[in-house]
Amino acid sequence: MNLLLLYLLLLKATATSFSGLTSLPVVRNDLVVRYQVLTDRQLNAAVVAGQTGPGPYGLYVVSVGYFVAGVPGAFCGYLAMITPAFLIIPMLRYLGARARHPGARSAIQGVTLAAAGLIVASAIPLAQDALTGAAAVAIAIASFLVLIATRLDTLWVIAGSAVAGLVAGFLA
Amino acid sequence: MSRPSLRELAALFARIPNLTFGGGDPTMAALQRELVARRGWLAPEQYGLAFGLARLTPGTNLLAFCAAAAWLLRGALGAVLAVLAASAPAAIVVVALSYGYQALKGNALAMSVIAGLLASAVGMMATAAWRLVRPHVRRGEGLRALVLAGGSVALLRGVAMPPVAVLALAAVAGFFWRRSEEE
Repeated sequence: MNLLLLYLLLLKATATSFSGLTSLPVVRNDLVVRYQVLTDRQLNAAVVAGQTGPGPYGLYVVSVGYFVAGVPGAFCGYLAMITPAFLIIPMLRYLGARARHPGARSAIQGVTLAAAGLIVASAIPLAQDALTGAAAVAIAIASFLVLIATRLDTLWVIAGSAVAGLVAGFLA
Repeated sequence: MSRPSLRELAALFARIPNLTFGGGDPTMAALQRELVARRGWLAPEQYGLAFGLARLTPGTNLLAFCAAAAWLLRGALGAVLAVLAASAPAAIVVVALSYGYQALKGNALAMSVIAGLLASAVGMMATAAWRLVRPHVRRGEGLRALVLAGGSVALLRGVAMPPVAVLALAAVAGFFWRRSEEE
């Protein structure tokens, strides 16, 4: 498949979705059904790869590009993933100039509090999926307490959780 | 608020997003702690604005958030640098995983490490939510914070309202229900 076409098809998918995996139906329709350059099995593997590694789930688009056209295809997927991110800057410029108005400040506070709600709402399914045993619950609580009560670098909490998971895996 | 150098900015955005598992939300939660609580580079309201707008931006929310936060700190160059730093290493990992994900899936120890990382992601998200609500509670606006944050959770989880609609509703509610000194 032509790399420019691959980029444009993946960009169409990323630029019309508003979170990680919501672009999936568009990707499947174009690459699996219409152009037949990707199989459902490969698409599934791409989603798993995107969720297994660090970073956002939207990274699965990079894996899709890789399965379609190797490393150059992965690069097309990468560009399609990062391009829409820069649309936020004109929005921020517009709102930033108005952010001193008391009404705008109060509205932004409302959004900030809703952001806390959004984080909790997306933590619930992750907790249901990840906190399946006593060890995982202990890691989650310990992470929360260390992060809330100390100024320790977040990296140490990540490293400690990996080691704790490994120890729990050995003991299980 | 202190202003980081481009090198400090790139180092932070290379470190946190490429080492946090569980998707974009735990990563934005971890970045909240680093950008607002530990380093004091962004005010909580700036974080809230970047987070809210990232939800309204098409594509991967985390990368839009990185572009916004870095733009507030170091302009356009900072935004480009932050997006590249936040995504390029993880993209390389994803290509490697695409090549060998079957081998990893069959490895029990690798899965134990990932289970530990995902559990810690839950703790990070709880921390970030609390840190966004806490300043409002401390100012004696616990009821406003509870209604806006708790109401958002209820709308998202209870009636499956789209996040974009919840944020818009919270902006309207925040506009009309002001803090006493904002009136």
